[in-house]
Amino acid sequence: MADRRRINGPPGGTRPPVFASLQESSTGIANRAQRQRQPAELRKIFLKTGLIPTASGSSYLEFEPSVSLAAARSNPKSLIPPSSALKLACTVHGPKPLPRSAAFSPNLVLTTHVKYAPFAARKRKGHIRDASERDLGVHLETALRGAIIAERWPKSGLDITITIIEAEDDRWWGDAPDSHDASWGMMNVLAGCITAASAAIADAHIDCLDLVSGGVAALVSDDSNQSASSAPRLMLDIDPAEHRSILSACVVAYMPARDEITELWLKGDSSRAALEKDDGRTGHEALIDGAVDAARGANTVLAEAVRESIARSFA
Amino acid sequence: MSNQRQASSASQVPHLSPAELSYLYTSLSLPKNPIRPDGRSPTQFRPLSAETTILPGTNGSARIGFADGTQAIVGVKAEVEKTVLAADTLDSRSLAQHGDALNREGEQGSAAVSGQGEWVQMSIEIPGFRDDDALPVFLSEMMRESLVGSVAGGNGDAVKEMAGGLKGRLVINKRWHWRLYIDVLLLSQPLAYPLPLLSLTTHLALLSTKLPKLKSTGEEDPFFDDDWAAAEYLYPRSNISKSLSAAPSYPVRPPVTLLVISVGDNVIFDPNREEIAVADAVLAISVTRSGDSETLKLLSIRSIDPPSRLTQPGIPNSENVNMLGATAAPGEETGGQEEVEGVWRPRRGGVKRSVIARMVKTVLGKGGVGEEVLEGLEGVEVQ
Amino acid sequence: MAITILPPVVEDSRPYEVDSDDDISMDSEEDIEMTGVSRPHKRPRLQGNSNIGAGIVTPGEVVTDDPQWMRGHGTYMNPLSTSIIATVAGTVQKTNKLLSVHPLRARYTPEIGDLVVGRIVEVQSRRWKVDVAAPLLAQLPLSAINLPGGILRRRTSADELQIRTFFSEGDLVVAEVQSVHQDGSASLHTRSLKYGKLRNGVFLAVTGTGGSGASSSSVKGGVGAGKSASGSSLAAPGGSGTGGVVRSRRQVWTVPTANGGGEVNIILGVNGYIFISKHSEGEDAASSTTENVSITRMEEMVSSSIYSSQNDDISPQTRREIARLAQCIRVLVQSGVRVDEETVMGAYNASLQVDLEIGDDEDDEDEWRQEGREYLEGAKAQQILELVKQQL
Repeated sequence: MADRRRINGPPGGTRPPVFASLQESSTGIANRAQRQRQPAELRKIFLKTGLIPTASGSSYLEFEPSVSLAAARSNPKSLIPPSSALKLACTVHGPKPLPRSAAFSPNLVLTTHVKYAPFAARKRKGHIRDASERDLGVHLETALRGAIIAERWPKSGLDITITIIEAEDDRWWGDAPDSHDASWGMMNVLAGCITAASAAIADAHIDCLDLVSGGVAALVSDDSNQSASSAPRLMLDIDPAEHRSILSACVVAYMPARDEITELWLKGDSSRAALEKDDGRTGHEALIDGAVDAARGANTVLAEAVRESIARSFA
Repeated sequence: MSNQRQASSASQVPHLSPAELSYLYTSLSLPKNPIRPDGRSPTQFRPLSAETTILPGTNGSARIGFADGTQAIVGVKAEVEKTVLAADTLDSRSLAQHGDALNREGEQGSAAVSGQGEWVQMSIEIPGFRDDDALPVFLSEMMRESLVGSVAGGNGDAVKEMAGGLKGRLVINKRWHWRLYIDVLLLSQPLAYPLPLLSLTTHLALLSTKLPKLKSTGEEDPFFDDDWAAAEYLYPRSNISKSLSAAPSYPVRPPVTLLVISVGDNVIFDPNREEIAVADAVLAISVTRSGDSETLKLLSIRSIDPPSRLTQPGIPNSENVNMLGATAAPGEETGGQEEVEGVWRPRRGGVKRSVIARMVKTVLGKGGVGEEVLEGLEGVEVQ
Repeated sequence: MAITILPPVVEDSRPYEVDSDDDISMDSEEDIEMTGVSRPHKRPRLQGNSNIGAGIVTPGEVVTDDPQWMRGHGTYMNPLSTSIIATVAGTVQKTNKLLSVHPLRARYTPEIGDLVVGRIVEVQSRRWKVDVAAPLLAQLPLSAINLPGGILRRRTSADELQIRTFFSEGDLVVAEVQSVHQDGSASLHTRSLKYGKLRNGVFLAVTGTGGSGASSSSVKGGVGAGKSASGSSLAAPGGSGTGGVVRSRRQVWTVPTANGGGEVNIILGVNGYIFISKHSEGEDAASSTTENVSITRMEEMVSSSIYSSQNDDISPQTRREIARLAQCIRVLVQSGVRVDEETVMGAYNASLQVDLEIGDDEDDEDEWRQEGREYLEGAKAQQILELVKQQL
């Protein structure tokens, strides 16, 4: 899997030393962040287009850090931030002619690159894209290709590059790596990528069916009391650091005007969802619906950002 | 055929003419009774031949071949590896409790160790693809995801061994674990999207995988029984005591990932290359049978980019400049939205939620395709 | 049952035996003495052995040392010796004093006059590159097609600019090989109303004719050539031969199908590409009157559909019969039976017959039993094959 033409540094991450005495001197166990939002309440999104002048379209997206994170940052008790919030930049280059060697294409050829900055996650990422980054790129491509009207731009290519400056954590930093090790943070990252890329594509004036936005919903089991009776609940736009146990999560790319999903990625056990008695839906359907609701929320921000960029160009 | 592959797409776009695509789409979207090019029913799989334990150098292996000659071989190898405790994060709770007595930590065997998903490594080799191309990466992530994600739900006796799912089974003790390498080899360039083939083969290979019997106990450095006959199955079997003639039943089975497409109102399984090319939506759905219950459990869904979005549109006769009497100005905006009967239009947009729900239901439902596939796999004799 | 999983079938490993009666009758016109040698000789033959051409030779094997023979396809000679050595695995063929080795399974090599089905893979400024299953792409020059309306004139730059409106990437064409170049690549033409863009049907690719110059006779006597997959139980005992499409009298014909399917056209490209489509009325009129149509009336006869990519309205019954025909051809190919009008029609009628029998057997067809019964495989395919073999 490694690039054989380059000599890479040793794999694995580095982390700052944390001394046990430092831990003890603080308030004992570091505080776990708690979700203070309503289950259906989304984090605030900052989205702005046209920040990178050399690209034909660009956007910058940031999620609002959770309340506890903001508090911890202003008053640090540990060397490690308790949680992180997504920040990413998206650039669109094109439509530009395909290279001579490429075969004829009646459609716009889309290529997507998703790259974590080396410092984006707690564990350092190398400069070469790893499997998870390629995987994200494929998901993003699927999401966008459904929205773009590709035959309007025959024989041309469109490059979409996303740099993740700060990634979401997969779990609370204080938990052991095996507490829940599925990469839940990646799903938030994907949702952010979709929303940002959609804004950048609109900024580049590429024909789209609709603005496509990403949304995440998850089934979270109530963490504080370990009683088995507490069935997992549906939450929108989860911050994985705020939850002890995430059972399953789902990310969608959604076009509200057509009520269609262009990308769906669901994983985990969704069979034990606690739904209302009269709710005829199964767990996974509820998850998808939840993710669609989250995407609808993101879409309002997206539409506003695109409108703003148009207004700026007139001003 | 090098131009069949887009730079980063996970799906392949076969060269098909608009007329063929239109013919296929209409045939497959005929209400109630789609006509597949090879005459199969919508839920019918291509017949395949399977065998297990074919590679003596592996812990488990399987081979599946389709009648058209495409074959996949999967070899599973296990290695003992030292668990790096809290390599990634700081276990602050134990720190807080024990202060400087960090070195005593190893003795507290009480807390159950659960496995890590990273202990399962999967690599897929497809001829004609680089190992960092989108297709192999996407496929291996997809299959690994459902594999490490599956956790047994039941409380049966045998299920206890699989408490943490596959990754829990890999734990030897607090300091040691198994690392599982699943290497998938496709023997020829895929004639269709290779997911079902690879998934079924991996399933059988894992069922046949054996790990040496552990002789050490507790937190000692592990040592194993060198008698291979005493080795234990990675996925435990329950009725060893019963007669040998009965097929062994597994309390926990590895997941299978099925490829499902929707065309018009129809849901079609195990699509071949041409059928995927006209699909409205392509989903990869992973299911497994959960321990005690008879129902199937959904593990993951991933949408796959339908190649139909990249196809060439057909030109309706009314707009064709080569048609007699058609003097329509070619400068006129082409790609009109209206559908003309018999003219291929590349699919646009996404898929409705109701369609997704229907596709999942066909897999999961009682007596659904998922059950039948798992039953079929149970019928395969695993030595 | 949605899925069928079979145990692997161990291939029959009997030593190869020549079914001598059959082979002699098939190859008698080529004047080959068959002596029923049971396996290929690895050891060089004795000089002056008149027993040339028996059985199979492998690459590197000396076919003969006798200087009276001339070397043909599939052989080579060392500069200093007179022995002819095979370069491909296959059967030896003698034409007067010319000795050639005929490969058991070979790729298509174009010959002038071949009717081929091809797929456009590349559009260049004044010609198309066409995949015809040959080692090299064939070319179809812009000057070798009929212009819409049958106008006869020089191709202008305007035509070059809108070259994609005639044929574009992925389109299927039926064409004739006009000439073969030095390097073996073919030049095609579609200057007949029989030729042109294909639509209203399905495409399927099987192995094309084995070896060049095989005229109409398929080379028999090979080991059950590779197409039958290992796991399948279809490999008919004794069913040997190269299979695939062979050059024959008629490559294109119309089938009156059963079950209300109407008329269906089958085009067997000599290169192994096959197109099965609905028969349309206009086409019929055009092709039947081609001979006595004057140049000036061509315009009217070139029906408006020649470069269309819009399908006609095709009924489900027709689609079903087209699918059945396609499967019949697949069954033939998988078991190594040659594909031509006779065998295809035989298989089609056999499949109808088999269906009838099954229909009689199962009066209480519940739903799943009916499901997928149009899928021809396993026992059903076997039955069809046997019926076809009886007719041959």
